[in-house]
Amino acid sequence: MGFLAPWFLAGLAAVGLPVYIHLLRRHVTTPRPVSSLMFFERGTQSSTRHRKLRYLLLFSLRALLMLLLALVFANPFLRRSSAAASDRLLVVVVDNSFSMRAGTRLEDAKRGALDVLATRKPSQRAQVMVLSGELQVLTQPIKDAGALKAAVESIQPGDSRSNFGELGRGMRALTETVHTPVDLHLFSDMQASNMPVNFADMVMPGNVLLVMHPVAKAVVPNWTVESVEAPGQLVDPKRARVLAVIAGHQTPAATRTVSLIINGTVALIKKVEVPADGRATVAFESLDVPYGASRCEVRIDAADGFPADDASSFAVKRADPERVLFVHQAGDSRSALYFGSALAAAAQASFVLQPIVADQAADADPTKYAFVVLSDVASIPSILENSLLQYVRNGGSVLIAAGTSDAHRQRIPVFGESSTDARFYSRAGGFSSVGQVDASHPAMKDSAGWKDAKFYYATVVDAGGARVVARLADGTPLLLDKQIGQGHVLVFASGFDNVTNDLPLHPVFVPFVDQSARYLSGVERLSGARVVDSFIQLRNVTNEGNQGASVEIVGPDGKRPLSLQEEAAAQSLRLTRAGFYQIRFANGRDALIAVNPDRRESGLDLIPQDVLKLWSGSGNADMAATQGAAAATGEEKKNAYSLWWWVMLLILMAAVAESVVASRYLGTQREEV
Amino acid sequence: MQRFLDPAVLAGISGLDLVAKTVVDGFVAGLHRSPDFGFSQEFAEYRAYTPGDDLRHVDWNLFARTERCYLKRYRGETNSQLTILLDASNSMNYGSHAVSKMDYARYTAASLFYLAIHNQHDPAGLIVFDDEVRNYIRPSTRQGQLHRLLAGLEQAEPRARTNFMKPLAHFQEFLRRRGVVLVISDFYESPETIVKTIEPLRFHGSDVVLFHVLDPKEIRPELRGPSILVDMETEQRLEVIPEYVKGEYRKKMDSHLEQMSERTRAAGMDYHLLVTDRPLDAALSEYLFLRPGGR
Repeated sequence: MGFLAPWFLAGLAAVGLPVYIHLLRRHVTTPRPVSSLMFFERGTQSSTRHRKLRYLLLFSLRALLMLLLALVFANPFLRRSSAAASDRLLVVVVDNSFSMRAGTRLEDAKRGALDVLATRKPSQRAQVMVLSGELQVLTQPIKDAGALKAAVESIQPGDSRSNFGELGRGMRALTETVHTPVDLHLFSDMQASNMPVNFADMVMPGNVLLVMHPVAKAVVPNWTVESVEAPGQLVDPKRARVLAVIAGHQTPAATRTVSLIINGTVALIKKVEVPADGRATVAFESLDVPYGASRCEVRIDAADGFPADDASSFAVKRADPERVLFVHQAGDSRSALYFGSALAAAAQASFVLQPIVADQAADADPTKYAFVVLSDVASIPSILENSLLQYVRNGGSVLIAAGTSDAHRQRIPVFGESSTDARFYSRAGGFSSVGQVDASHPAMKDSAGWKDAKFYYATVVDAGGARVVARLADGTPLLLDKQIGQGHVLVFASGFDNVTNDLPLHPVFVPFVDQSARYLSGVERLSGARVVDSFIQLRNVTNEGNQGASVEIVGPDGKRPLSLQEEAAAQSLRLTRAGFYQIRFANGRDALIAVNPDRRESGLDLIPQDVLKLWSGSGNADMAATQGAAAATGEEKKNAYSLWWWVMLLILMAAVAESVVASRYLGTQREEV
Repeated sequence: MQRFLDPAVLAGISGLDLVAKTVVDGFVAGLHRSPDFGFSQEFAEYRAYTPGDDLRHVDWNLFARTERCYLKRYRGETNSQLTILLDASNSMNYGSHAVSKMDYARYTAASLFYLAIHNQHDPAGLIVFDDEVRNYIRPSTRQGQLHRLLAGLEQAEPRARTNFMKPLAHFQEFLRRRGVVLVISDFYESPETIVKTIEPLRFHGSDVVLFHVLDPKEIRPELRGPSILVDMETEQRLEVIPEYVKGEYRKKMDSHLEQMSERTRAAGMDYHLLVTDRPLDAALSEYLFLRPGGR
């Protein structure tokens, strides 16, 4: 305790005032007349003592008042730690990203976290979090050492990619609700790839003291299967091709053995020269998988410090070619020719075109086909339209080439929207070209080359609620995608006949047909490989036909990641673990999805020390230096807390008490007079 | 009507005559009697004639009917002379409330004078004394006697100190005829001395009544702290503590009052304590009781 203005303590001399009034000054009593002193006797000695005792309380109050007045001017203060250790929230964050599987990093991190929790004061609240794809809170701010220890020990190695930007965002959200200072202890391998693009995202708030505990002391050389390119579905194993990229991080030049493993059996082995800190590509020319879904992986004999990333999984589904119903006009044989050729020319061709004239398609069952193409049909039997509509609602897909015949109709079948006009660019002596392409659409992944195609005719289709994937130069929608129930309807506003446009003659037509076919048939969803923390759509948002229909999901560990209630309602699934997910969709189709960790986790480069230093001092540059040192030496920063208000409160109370007591005594004196 | 006898009410009335009238009228009305009832010549008894009796008292009507000679006796056949001895020493000036002891004594005396002269037609006189006789008004029933007495009371301002011994001789001179002698004082003297001084007044056959006027705070004084007390007569100062007042003083005062009562009654005198916060009817009742012939 100290005084900010100690000179005012001289005012303590004022305490002498009540001392004089009460003890030193001669007490004067006004004589009181009586008829006779006949029956009275003198009693002086005891009266003095009584008088002193009587006014002792008043004297004490007045002396206290003077004392407090002097104190309040002297402005006393207490030195307390700026935030007592017990007032600071201890937040322990353990990074359990995929890279923490290297060596004993996660175990070291958990051990360090337990040590930090063990050294905290019992009265200090602590919170345990896990940093992976997102910041997960394992405990609320609690003091229960047992619960905190259990939370740390329950941390399991993860497959996600951690991001320090998420940590910064989480801490900013935390400090909005927790107003006490926060001591953040981060146990991580400080992987350089975990840094966000923008450094500002990982900056800590001002009242967060970041203490980093790097568990990776040095860079570890690491080879990894960086990527695998393989078909998700194939018909002919001989024509399938698997390309794997082997990457080395901080590695010398070496020869690595690459194995293609199908359903647990090594099918092919190749050796590849991987340059120092470089990449090499390995091609497996065949993928001899049995019918059905196969679990495949490409593995290398890395013999490095991070064996978990030495393999990359992918799922392949082998099946007979699926049939595609191609409905066309009786006199139009060109469309089927061009479309069928493009479908057959696709590298992973797994579709067989089945052309049929519109008039004969009345009793066709769309459910037997991967998807249906309506190519420039002037009219289709109503039975077929109804069955197509039902087919789409249940998950089927239809590709409609509007062609010239739709110019005479008010409404495009199945699609539901009307065609308002027709653009005959050839009549104006020219043509139109593609002006805008939405490359994010699965059917337009390879959009290069679309600019060269010439369009002489296009039907103007009212987009309505459909997604416009491509537009012509004059803004006319060229390709529209509309979701109906569980299925999709893709409308091409021109034709496939090389008359209304010359697209079938351009190379881009083949990938367009191939990707459209894959998209419409749903092959893309049913196999292949994904990255951890990506999402897979379980059902469409506008779930009409399968309301309440449940999906079944089995995770890599053989357990169901979703509860029964979630399986009945969840729109999407986050793939949080590496491995194979078996999914049965609501429409009964099965899928095998391989999930691989983000390969950026394989780069074990550490964040430079200067960046770490900048980060630890980012939110509290002035405080970190002092408090960091103080924390290291066990000292506590002391701040002065003024007691001014408390003393003023005491003065008020003493003044009230003095008034009450004094008025009582003075009232007595008046009565005596 | 009782409120007209309350000293605090009377203090608000300016003239003593009005005070006396208010008190007596209120008091008599409170008795449920006519103010004129009981005035003189009231039949008391028959007594057989014995030789030597005044023949004027023979009931000749009875003699005519029965041929027996009886005397008819009346109450109050003789006027009772009232003499009030009023102590006007300084101590009588004490009062803890609106009415001092002197005021109370004046009210009492005035009321008695009014009752005696106006109602009873008794001669009434006044002796004001302190350490000597300061005023003497001879008992009389003459016209204007009441006003003289009341004027004497008005002029009786307290001063000096009480001394019963000194004016005693004068009392003897003044009281030659038997009657009722009322002594109104606070009697701050030893009971023995008081009785010894006043007792000779009885020798003429008078009824002597002591009206001991005291303030309630004199009987039960209250001190909240050590105080310096000043004797109003001697100017002597004394520091006194509350504990003494609560204990010893009260014992002494009670003993004094008890001795006063006992010794005066033993000496054939009547004693009555008048506390200044009490109504005046006690004093009036006492007088009427003592007056021969009743009311």
